[in-house]
Amino acid sequence: MSALLEIDDLRVTFGTRYGEVTALDSVSLHVDAGETLGVVGESGCGKSITALSVMGLIPQPPGKIAGGSIRLNGEELIGANPARLRGLRGGDVAMIFQEPMTSLNPVFTVGDQIAEAIMLHQNVDKAQALKDAIALLDRVGIPSPDARARDYPHQLSGGMRQRVMIAMAVSCRPKVLIADEPTTALDVTVQAQIFDLLNEIQRDFGAAIVLITHDMGAISEMADRVAVMYAGRVIEEASADDVLDYPQHPYARGLIDCIPALGRDDHRLAEIPGVVPPLHLLGAGCAFAERCAHKQDRCGLEKPLLAAHGHHPVACHGIEEGRI
Amino acid sequence: MNTSYILRRLFYGLLLMLGVVVLNFLLIRMAPGDPAVVIAGEMGGATEEMLESIREEYGLNKPLLVQLGIYIGDIARFDLGESFFFNQPVTHLIGLRIGPTILLVVTAQLLSIVLGVFLGVIAARKPNGIMSAFVSVFATIGYAVPVFWTGIMLIILFASIVPIFPVEGMQSVRLRDANVFVKALDILHHLVLPAFTLAIIYLAQYARLSRASMLEVLGSDYIRTARAKGASEKSVLFKHALRNAALPILTVAGLQFGNLISGALLVETVFNWPGMGRLAFDSILRRDYPTIMGVLFFASFMVVIANILTDLSYRLADPRLRGR
Amino acid sequence: MSDQTTTEYQAESPAREAWRMFRRNIPALIGVVMLTVIVLATSYGTFLYGGDPFEIVWAPHEPPGVTPEFPMGTDYLGRDLIAGLLTGGGPTLAVGLAAAAITMAIGISFGALAGYYGGWVDNLLMRITEFFQVLPALLFAMVLVTLFSPSLLTIAMAIGVVSWPQTARLTRAEFLKIKELEYVTAARAIGARNKRIIWKVILPNAAPPLIVSATLTIGVAILFEAGLSFLGLGDPNVMSWGLMIGANREYILDAWWPVTFPGLAIFFTVFAVSLIGDGLNDAFNPKLRER
Repeated sequence: MSALLEIDDLRVTFGTRYGEVTALDSVSLHVDAGETLGVVGESGCGKSITALSVMGLIPQPPGKIAGGSIRLNGEELIGANPARLRGLRGGDVAMIFQEPMTSLNPVFTVGDQIAEAIMLHQNVDKAQALKDAIALLDRVGIPSPDARARDYPHQLSGGMRQRVMIAMAVSCRPKVLIADEPTTALDVTVQAQIFDLLNEIQRDFGAAIVLITHDMGAISEMADRVAVMYAGRVIEEASADDVLDYPQHPYARGLIDCIPALGRDDHRLAEIPGVVPPLHLLGAGCAFAERCAHKQDRCGLEKPLLAAHGHHPVACHGIEEGRI
Repeated sequence: MNTSYILRRLFYGLLLMLGVVVLNFLLIRMAPGDPAVVIAGEMGGATEEMLESIREEYGLNKPLLVQLGIYIGDIARFDLGESFFFNQPVTHLIGLRIGPTILLVVTAQLLSIVLGVFLGVIAARKPNGIMSAFVSVFATIGYAVPVFWTGIMLIILFASIVPIFPVEGMQSVRLRDANVFVKALDILHHLVLPAFTLAIIYLAQYARLSRASMLEVLGSDYIRTARAKGASEKSVLFKHALRNAALPILTVAGLQFGNLISGALLVETVFNWPGMGRLAFDSILRRDYPTIMGVLFFASFMVVIANILTDLSYRLADPRLRGR
Repeated sequence: MSDQTTTEYQAESPAREAWRMFRRNIPALIGVVMLTVIVLATSYGTFLYGGDPFEIVWAPHEPPGVTPEFPMGTDYLGRDLIAGLLTGGGPTLAVGLAAAAITMAIGISFGALAGYYGGWVDNLLMRITEFFQVLPALLFAMVLVTLFSPSLLTIAMAIGVVSWPQTARLTRAEFLKIKELEYVTAARAIGARNKRIIWKVILPNAAPPLIVSATLTIGVAILFEAGLSFLGLGDPNVMSWGLMIGANREYILDAWWPVTFPGLAIFFTVFAVSLIGDGLNDAFNPKLRER
């Protein structure tokens, strides 16, 4: 039995003024019902592109899915006909975006926007859809949902808007819920509430959640499994505990070292030197090589492949050779 | 929408009109020569009694402020004076001609907005496509063609080459006794060329503007949300995007109204359309100042009304402005 | 190679970058060439070609291409159309330029003061601006020209007086944006006077959109002048393209050429100006072009 959502060897390219660049390079991921997969990495590493590929929302052009496969329940999504994809979007696969402030349409009431999602995928009339929308607003913890449903987005706070986005996303009981940095734009206290809500919803609906984030704290709170991405590739993948406790790849170690831990003032907070290289400047070797303390000649020449070296799958020559 | 805002807006409109009245008053006094002679019209060859009665009526022997008071009082009673050329009250002259002008201007406005926005939306779907190229070329040409010349070219085309539309006037003489329905159709038939001539410049501008506005909106987060819901492309374009892209178009439509009236002046002259523009032209040639000032007053009045309507509909269209 | 481009890109001043972008913009260059030809033809053409545009030289309504001496034919009185076209452009262009200059002068002053000082100054100046936007421009210009007798100067002033509100709004918006920027605060911190900040600090930085707007204003002013002359409100002693169209209007069904050629002349002039304006706009906003 294959997983609920399977991404296999996905390759996405973008046409830019520097020519065609590879935004995702042989990315393989999978997630099962009731499971939460965390996808971590710095901005620009391909997390969001992966999510948008699953949603079939890569802007084409300039984007192009150059190869690989995305299967939901065994059904191939790449190259599926647009009507079928529209039926899946918001139905079986739903997404929560990073920017609650701008992700809702300013000229429609939030009730209407949720009701629209419901009517697109369920055979109900407008009145019923509005009623369902109010119930959903209640479910995501919005007080006096009746009145709020008639509000416009600008009348709600950021946290409230993200709850509305979640209500919209779960309105059709999706099998896969992709949350792209759902709390980045919110206050810390609100972040915890949103994570609690996502956990509850997963319990209730049994959805698979793909949580995209650069926040290792969110990973430790939410994820069952973690995939670490760097410059368009998955460089390490394992259970959340394994990655958090025994990070292998030098980049993953760097990410973990960046987490401030309470009562650990002996340890100076680390940072990873340098930045993610622009995609058009990626060479033949490991994309992390220029920032890596363990770089050797081979790292600059040959791309390491994701393979189990010891503890869990990781893409690093140094670990493969037992140097690190 | 709150009543106090509407009242405030109406009051402001009234102030603007008062400004127009004062300006009219000052212009006549600033013109070289005896105001009584100016009012009587240089072409009129006015007799001394006539000038005396004008001096009496306008209180030209009294102090300037009293004269202004008399003038404002007259206009408040919708008495814009007497045309010495037509030998009729100015309000009567304008009353006969304001209808055709409103018909022409409103038709042209609707035609240009509807067609222009439609072209712009289609073009925005493919920012580098052939429609986009067409829209920008068309907009540049539309901007550069003198409207009266377009009219003349259309007259040459339709009078001698494909005589399917009448090129002059508003009604056919032979249908003087026909029933209302036939007459209305006849007027519409006569309206085609003038309305299209007037609309074409603005059509090009709205096409360019709505293309730009749509492109901006289509890149926004809430459009991605709509797509993620599974909304159809048609719904994304015409419901989610257009409602937002329409806001700047509405603003420009309001600002353009004055220019449209200026354009109507030329178009009416070219097509012998029996409106205020034609009246303005005739009275300017005869230096019939009371009529000219009356036309200026009523044309400004139309612009003020159009601006108020634009403001109110903008508030209706943008929930963020409501209740302020 | 790409590194080199990056360094070059960063070292370039905005004006030079704009010029580099403009040079590559083929429609804009076509506009420059067209306008140059038109300006040269209308300023020197008469000397080379000779001929009085008002003089009746031939039979009326001679079609173009029939008589070799008058390749474009004659008008309803038998006047040479080429002579008219060559002399008729000068006043149109001159009035267009002068009117655009007046428009920019009034508009920038109003917009700059309103945007910079804000408060009641802004309120007052913007109310005045709105008032002038209520007046239908062409009608108001017609009234002004008739009241103060038509000459090139009154026409240019009338066009300027009715066209400035848009420039004022644009300038104000730019000033509102720029006056919040750090370098303006810095200028104020070192004790620069308001006058200096407005004209020497903010205005140069607001220049790109204003230059584009000035260019497009020239086009609008030319159309305006043409409209007034067409209505017979131009200077009656000066031949102009608009006047040629207006004078021959009655006979369009007998002869298409006396109205068609001057119309094309106006069209190509404004078209060239607007190609240049669009090119400048693209050059100043390279990011917009990539969309």
